[in-house]
Amino acid sequence: MRDKQIEDLKDYKYGFSTDIESFKAPKGLNEDVIKFISNIKKEPRWLLDWRLKAFERLKVLKEPDWQKPKYPKIDYQDLYYYSAPKSFKDKPKSLDELDPKLLETYQKLGIPLNEQKRLNGIAVDAVFDSVSVATTFKETLTKQGIIFCSISEAVQKHPELVKKYLGTVIPLTDHFFATLNSAVFTDGSFVYIPPGVRCPMELSTYFRINASDTGQFERTLIIADKGSYVSYLEGCTAPMRDENQLHAANVELIALDDAEIKYSTVQNWYPGDKDGKGGIYNFVTKRGLCKGKNSKISWTQVETGSAITWKYPSCILKGDNSIGEFYSIAITNNHQKADTGTKMIHLGKNTKSKIISKGISAGFSDMTYRGLVDISPKATNSNNFTQCDSLLMGNKCGAHTVPYIKNKNSDSNIAHEATTSKISEEQLHYCQQRGLNPEEAVGLIVNGFCKEVLQQLPMEFAVEAQKLVGISLEGSVG
Amino acid sequence: MEDQLKIDFEKKLKDFSYSDQEKKFKETNFEEFLKQGFPNRKLENWKFSDLNQIIKNNIGELTFYNDYKKENQIDKIELISELEHNKIIIVDGKIEKIDFKFEDKDKVVVLVEQGEETIKENINSLINLNNAFSNKFCKIIIKKNYSLKKPLVIYHSTNKNTQSKNTNSRIDFKLEENACLRLIDIFKDNSEKNFLNIYYNFELDKSSILKNYKIDKAINNNVKYSYNNVKQEANSISETFILSSGSKFFKNEINCDLLGQHSSAFVNGIFDLDDENHHEIKSNINHLVENTKSYQLVKSVLEKKSKAVYQGKIFVSSEAQKTDGYQLSNAILLSENSEFNAKPELEIYADDVKCSHGSSSGSLDDNSIFYLMSRGLNFKEAKKLLINGFLLDVIEKITDEEIKNLIKNLLGVKE
Amino acid sequence: MLKINNLSAKIDNKSILQDFKLEINPGEVHAIMGPNGSGKSTLSNILSGKKGYDVTGEVLFENNDLFSLETEERAHKGIFLAFQYPLEIPGVNTNVFLKTSLNAIKKARGEKELDAIQFLKLVKEKAKELKFDEEKLGRQLNVGFSGGEKKKNEILQMSILNPKLSILDETDSGLDIDALKTVAEGVNALRKKNNSFLIITHYQRLLEYIKPDFVHVLMNGKIIKSGGPELALELEKKGYENIN
Repeated sequence: MRDKQIEDLKDYKYGFSTDIESFKAPKGLNEDVIKFISNIKKEPRWLLDWRLKAFERLKVLKEPDWQKPKYPKIDYQDLYYYSAPKSFKDKPKSLDELDPKLLETYQKLGIPLNEQKRLNGIAVDAVFDSVSVATTFKETLTKQGIIFCSISEAVQKHPELVKKYLGTVIPLTDHFFATLNSAVFTDGSFVYIPPGVRCPMELSTYFRINASDTGQFERTLIIADKGSYVSYLEGCTAPMRDENQLHAANVELIALDDAEIKYSTVQNWYPGDKDGKGGIYNFVTKRGLCKGKNSKISWTQVETGSAITWKYPSCILKGDNSIGEFYSIAITNNHQKADTGTKMIHLGKNTKSKIISKGISAGFSDMTYRGLVDISPKATNSNNFTQCDSLLMGNKCGAHTVPYIKNKNSDSNIAHEATTSKISEEQLHYCQQRGLNPEEAVGLIVNGFCKEVLQQLPMEFAVEAQKLVGISLEGSVG
Repeated sequence: MEDQLKIDFEKKLKDFSYSDQEKKFKETNFEEFLKQGFPNRKLENWKFSDLNQIIKNNIGELTFYNDYKKENQIDKIELISELEHNKIIIVDGKIEKIDFKFEDKDKVVVLVEQGEETIKENINSLINLNNAFSNKFCKIIIKKNYSLKKPLVIYHSTNKNTQSKNTNSRIDFKLEENACLRLIDIFKDNSEKNFLNIYYNFELDKSSILKNYKIDKAINNNVKYSYNNVKQEANSISETFILSSGSKFFKNEINCDLLGQHSSAFVNGIFDLDDENHHEIKSNINHLVENTKSYQLVKSVLEKKSKAVYQGKIFVSSEAQKTDGYQLSNAILLSENSEFNAKPELEIYADDVKCSHGSSSGSLDDNSIFYLMSRGLNFKEAKKLLINGFLLDVIEKITDEEIKNLIKNLLGVKE
Repeated sequence: MLKINNLSAKIDNKSILQDFKLEINPGEVHAIMGPNGSGKSTLSNILSGKKGYDVTGEVLFENNDLFSLETEERAHKGIFLAFQYPLEIPGVNTNVFLKTSLNAIKKARGEKELDAIQFLKLVKEKAKELKFDEEKLGRQLNVGFSGGEKKKNEILQMSILNPKLSILDETDSGLDIDALKTVAEGVNALRKKNNSFLIITHYQRLLEYIKPDFVHVLMNGKIIKSGGPELALELEKKGYENIN
């Protein structure tokens, strides 16, 4: 009986695919495809030039190979770089015109887009393959001057803002996947919070890869102007497919004086089956710039999905007194691999950063925390605190900690702590004696282990994330 | 540099008559070094230091040939007077003297011959360089159940006229079952702008104990690299202590393979750096079987433009359950231009382990300074007292009382 | 209710319990006394289902073969163990733990699970009875609790889970006299016609407050003597060495 329940839970419940006709760019990576994407989005010349410049640069860049998880060679010419529901060729003006199949898909994913069923207090931008299909609560936000739309729309309606900030945190030339994204990015979210405004609701983007052989290259740009505040959430799922799919997103955050951005991710891309077949390659570049004084950027991530996760949400603490935070839970099971962590670059005076990382590996999986704390000579009176804890379940998996610590300032302090352990037999026995089955007991203990990070998530997400933490480890208790 | 290398290597091969096998060994290593060159930042182990750059800035062009037929003067080398000891004196990479006068003759065997090289090594390019250019193969065997009565001191010296030279030395040690060796490395530099490359191999049989104390205290303008490769069988103990201070650049690399149950490795060190000195410790502790233990503690005190790097890695294989691995590094930056970099790394494949690492760096604690000054000490005294205390707990890790006192005296540290 | 027949237990080939026999009927309170190393804790571990022992013999709980049940299934059937050393579980809120545990048991018994409000009401009531600092219920399970608080927390859990058979494994050790009284009150409050207790202890102290119906002396893995409450007093006087 219990086995049956576990079996049910183990299934990736977002694994369905939607049978919807899509409109795609021809396969392959070349100038024509880039022009095709730019053209279909009716982009201004400067943006096309920018893309082409990235493409030129891409030709001389090599894929990085220093990360721990290795992956088979990707044939970049055998991928679709643009895929949109066919009904989207003429963009629907309102939700009523949206393909019912799409609405149904999001309903199934627990993200209702319909007016009456919307999630309370969360505005959602839904991205399906390469395009944004709907954004909710737009009017409410507009009243306060908040811009929340797809990046394609922002290019049309707010070109000055996009032009001013795009690529300022992740430069065109950054590294292979970031540059690839700059050349072919399709859609993503754009957020601008005007000075002094506290965004009244959580902003959220829900990413869905549906089409096969399709890479998803979304681009998100969030600007918090002086004295503003925004909390942004991101969720991801994909259908179960035998082949690996590439997801190479770029996310840029900019916080001006006294502004604060809280960015939360619950990443649950399809992880592949229990033998490691299929799953998403999640190669993401996320970087935040604390540009102004007293600004703050806080990353929180719960990474449970993807065959390979490879991301380092970072903070460049440029403004004096700025603060960077990184809270992470990463769970790998079966044959999943993750190499994730953060970079905290202290440039301004009195800058503070905090890193709390909880890694859990089970099955045959492999997990690496990789992080950099760099305090530059000018960043006087700065400090960092890092805590990295790993939990191993079984001896077929690996847990690694690779922190790089650079202190070039004598008035600054860096403290780093790391531990590796397992769930003790005694703790399990204690929980079982109180009536919990082993799966529940592990879920409870692991959630306790992750608590410091879960607390950082907005309410609505925290509950989901807690369940996800439990489910991700199902079947890992021997 | 390549031309110089080739010329010097040709010259070297002509000096002695090597057997075909020896020749092959030297040539293979030489080719490998030519291919790889000096390590640079692209290598994970050299992330924080570019040896090419360091040699270029501090030495300029290097030459690699040393005339091993020439007798070097050793009577001017100042020896340690505080304790009685056996000695080996190395000048410009050449072993000039081996003296085990305190020991039973049949218990310490020294093999000095152009011995057969069977080990195929691909550790790093500097080991290749060493194997290509080092002189005679020297192996020291400590017999079963024998503990050396006095420590062995190895003096590393350079000739007064030697300059812009790369010198290479290699010694292999075998400690048979239950044997014990205390080994002190001391540097006596008589000239500057040289690159000293030292390579030790240690085989520790069951229940043997190795204590290696490396003391680089005297100020000098040389660049140094030292590699200890330690293989440990059951119940063996290795203790390495590094006082890294006097040289322009010094990188100490320790590789420990814990191959037998209940073997343990201790690596402790002090970076006491001034001026523009740049020093580094890189450790790899490989826990390969059950019930092994490692402990590492490194403390740094950094003045002026000095820079210290500590890269400590603990590796635990999936067989190595019940591993106990610990490492900690603390640094005090005394000048706004000093720099401390650390990479405390864990790579773990077994679940029933206790592994942790910690690292902290920062300035002297203002509150403590204030407290001491309010009790009547001036700033300088307060600072000295605090640093004293800071370094004391790593010095206390030295298990040999005689040598502990020697190092305390050298550092001017009091209890 | 509980029938133990010829129970023998080994760990790493070392024999700990030998041909152990015991029968507990509904409503009875049994005390097992024995010196250190006599096998007391092994008994409670085996009854609760801890792994790592080689066991032979038979244990029946309400006619169910105990060895065919997992640890949590035994808990569902109504066996509760107050641990000698209650575990700390970092990050897990005490209240959350209690609620999860209570509802897991209710669910297994086909009873209605409690919602947050009902649960809080229950837990408040019980905490008050046991003079357990309510503020502690909001904290991480046993983390930073004193020895006495941990033991009281066990008794609180017992009174909330309302088991049929409670095994108290040296619950008295490390308690001061006031805490000891509170713990005893908690046990006595639960003492009903159908609830049974197995009290494992080294000293007679706790038995002054919880009157046992039977006392057994455990030495070297065997019960060497059984009797009424008077046996405990005799033990206290003579010591374990001279009891035969």
